[in-house]
Amino acid sequence: MAVNTEAAQPYRADWKRGGLTSWITTVDHKRIGILYIVTSLFFFLLGGLLSLFMRAQLATPNEHFVTRGQYNELFTVHGTTMVFLVVVPILAGFGNYLVPLMIGARDMAFPRLNALSYWLFLLGGVVLYSSFFAKGGPAKTGWTAYVPLSELQYSPGHGQDLWILSLHILAIGSLATAINFIATIHNMRTAGMTWTRMPLFVWSIEVYAWLLIVILPVIGTGLVMLLLDRQVGTHFFIPDKGGSALLYQHIFWFFGHPEVYVIILPAMGMISEIIPVFARKPIFGYKAVAFSTVGIGFLSMLVWAHHMFTVGLGWGLQSYFMIVTLLVAVPTGVKIINWLLTTWRGNLIFDTPMLFALGFIAIFTIGGLTGIYLAAFPVDWQVHDSYFVVAHFHYTMFGGAVFAIFGGLFYWWPKMFGRMLNEKLGKWTFWLMFVGFNLTFMPQHFLGLMGMPRRIYTYGHGGLWEAYNMASTIGAGVMAVGVLLFFINAFRTNRHGKRAGNDPWMADTLEWLTTSPPPPENFTQPVPYVGTARPLRDLRLKLKERDERNGA
Amino acid sequence: MLRLFLALPAALSIALASAATAAADNGLTPVTPESPNAHAIKQTYWVILIITGVIFVLVEGALIVFVVRFRGRGRARGQDGAQIHGSTKLETASTIVPVLILAAIAAYVFVKLPTIKNVPPANAAGGSLKITVEGHQYYWKFDYPGGQTAVKTMVVPLERVVELKVVSPDVIHSWWVPSLGGKIDAIPGRTNHTWFKAERLGFYEVRCAEFCGLEHAHMTGYVHVVTPTQYASFLAAHKGASPALGREVFQGVCATCHGFAGQGDYGPPLKGNAVVADPAQLEKLLREGKNKMPAVGATWDQETMTAATTYMKERFGGG
Repeated sequence: MAVNTEAAQPYRADWKRGGLTSWITTVDHKRIGILYIVTSLFFFLLGGLLSLFMRAQLATPNEHFVTRGQYNELFTVHGTTMVFLVVVPILAGFGNYLVPLMIGARDMAFPRLNALSYWLFLLGGVVLYSSFFAKGGPAKTGWTAYVPLSELQYSPGHGQDLWILSLHILAIGSLATAINFIATIHNMRTAGMTWTRMPLFVWSIEVYAWLLIVILPVIGTGLVMLLLDRQVGTHFFIPDKGGSALLYQHIFWFFGHPEVYVIILPAMGMISEIIPVFARKPIFGYKAVAFSTVGIGFLSMLVWAHHMFTVGLGWGLQSYFMIVTLLVAVPTGVKIINWLLTTWRGNLIFDTPMLFALGFIAIFTIGGLTGIYLAAFPVDWQVHDSYFVVAHFHYTMFGGAVFAIFGGLFYWWPKMFGRMLNEKLGKWTFWLMFVGFNLTFMPQHFLGLMGMPRRIYTYGHGGLWEAYNMASTIGAGVMAVGVLLFFINAFRTNRHGKRAGNDPWMADTLEWLTTSPPPPENFTQPVPYVGTARPLRDLRLKLKERDERNGA
Repeated sequence: MLRLFLALPAALSIALASAATAAADNGLTPVTPESPNAHAIKQTYWVILIITGVIFVLVEGALIVFVVRFRGRGRARGQDGAQIHGSTKLETASTIVPVLILAAIAAYVFVKLPTIKNVPPANAAGGSLKITVEGHQYYWKFDYPGGQTAVKTMVVPLERVVELKVVSPDVIHSWWVPSLGGKIDAIPGRTNHTWFKAERLGFYEVRCAEFCGLEHAHMTGYVHVVTPTQYASFLAAHKGASPALGREVFQGVCATCHGFAGQGDYGPPLKGNAVVADPAQLEKLLREGKNKMPAVGATWDQETMTAATTYMKERFGGG
């Protein structure tokens, strides 16, 4: 059963049976997972389009592709979209689809709550994009919405209010999902799956969920205060009336910094699933990788003010936040070393998921190292709020998280849809994205060091400023072609792609035991007792042994 | 293989260093520093660049070497790699070594910190010069101890310690002159401090680094470093409601939206505008704002206001 055969009768996908209503009423974690992923990919196209407009505007000095007001809307909605409507929910989608399968469960702990989470996510996205039609247009204060700029006096109109509403809705949905994940992981693991036999992706979703539970109420509070300031006449954040502009930054970053680890940890979890399968080895240092996930999650809650090194904090505080921030590099380094050593003496197979995983290591290493410049606060005083920071977080959030997500899409696509994505197109996607990514964001480090602040809609300098900006814009175009190829791939293989069978990659974890796509009840036969972290490999070996014995 | 692997980081560090020094201000390092604090920041940057450069080459080098060395070469998927589950010794080392490296970086920062944050004692060129920097939507305004006001361009004497008090009456801005040290935010309700001591004559570009609204991109300015004699004549020219200040207000505040010739851009043209011709009406508009026009002059003292309205009337108010 565990041995892959393409001829194996594929299960007729549950989602091909019903019409639209079956999607609206579904409480199946797999359908909900697919809804999350497809919706996030749609928002990814929208957010990506916004970034292409920005790059067009910045390609040459004194460009007039968009107006100053539009540009501010573009980067605000781009950032909000990519964080709240793309990466966090697509990871929730993968988590939804994979966690019950990986732990041998029938569904999530609370299927109806799960459906509610998805619909809240969609609603939050619709509210954000509806603000384009609001009085005064959408919010234009960046994804951070710093006060007092986001207060009524400086940001009239309804865009900022809709932004707050959207984030509230998304936060409630995320909170419900997080609770659901924890209940599922803690209670529904199959026989024998102890904590140290759990797939590393499930570990990362566990930490993802705990972080969300800690931080979402905090940003919710901050957003309520901002809304009250704007609509009721309170002045939590209005200095003229006794409020504090810094308080908002503390609240925002106490949420905002762990939020980026909410994004990167499950992405790292995916990498930890993919590399061993394509190296034909176990992960090097399972416990170190699992515990470093917990370690990064914990430290992420202690470092928020490294986003505030230029606000004039006391020296003691700045020193503390530098040291704790530097400490994050330790568990992160442990992960990178363990992934590298997982490839050591392996039988490396360079299918597209593996290319994205290796690309992730190559790029994320750079994003991690530039974090050290930002942690050392006197250096941060130079590079803070410059394009250096823009480059840094795209190296972690795009070159890191999004590359891992693409690896995950190529890896689990066959499980979700029963057909393989085309490898040739997949490799083109990877190389275009890899080259395009570095061409886009590497020069932005240089621009930041040369003095280009972020969030400016135009600049007057020629020379290297123009050359680096032009390179960046060209790179964005190259990346866009790569992303487009992925969508072409998905549509083309939908009907005519190679059948996947249960386990096309000869993988290690339980989701590959069942058919692709799995039936509504997930597993048609009993899930074997889990004796190690690689139950499917154990099963394969056992079957092989039995065959040999029978043959002999 | 091993020797190549060790030689690689050395070679690349040298290449990187020579590239970074060959051409200044190419973006590989912070721009050429012209103040002691900016020098110390750049030195810290260099130390981190070298350390992270070596780590970068080791990690990416290992990645490339492993990918080439352990590639499948068409072996079947069923063929296992070496089943190695880990090594406690290696895990311990990969925790301790990074801690030591990071401790070294932190220690270097603490060694350099006094040079960066402490204002140096007064020198032969006289005591320190204390200037208040006000960040406004969307211009920088400077108040000198002698009562002079300047907009957009801060004029300071060479080799004199300049202490800045940085404030904002509206939203958050961030004062950034890359050549003269790091940035510091101008936050309403707070007073922040920074300093510099310019070592070379000339113009240094000022940027606003914290997004502050519609014209954030144009919230630029200059620090103009001059000789003591030139500085004295600057002070003399900026006494009271001077025409020099009026011109600066127009160029630094009004021109951002109304164009450098007052021809109109984001805002309407100024020439022949009835409000511009009437100082009383203009003052009301500048102090209170109207529609899209922000209250750019809400906090100006009377001298600055008079300088502005007089200049505007003379230049644009006539017929």
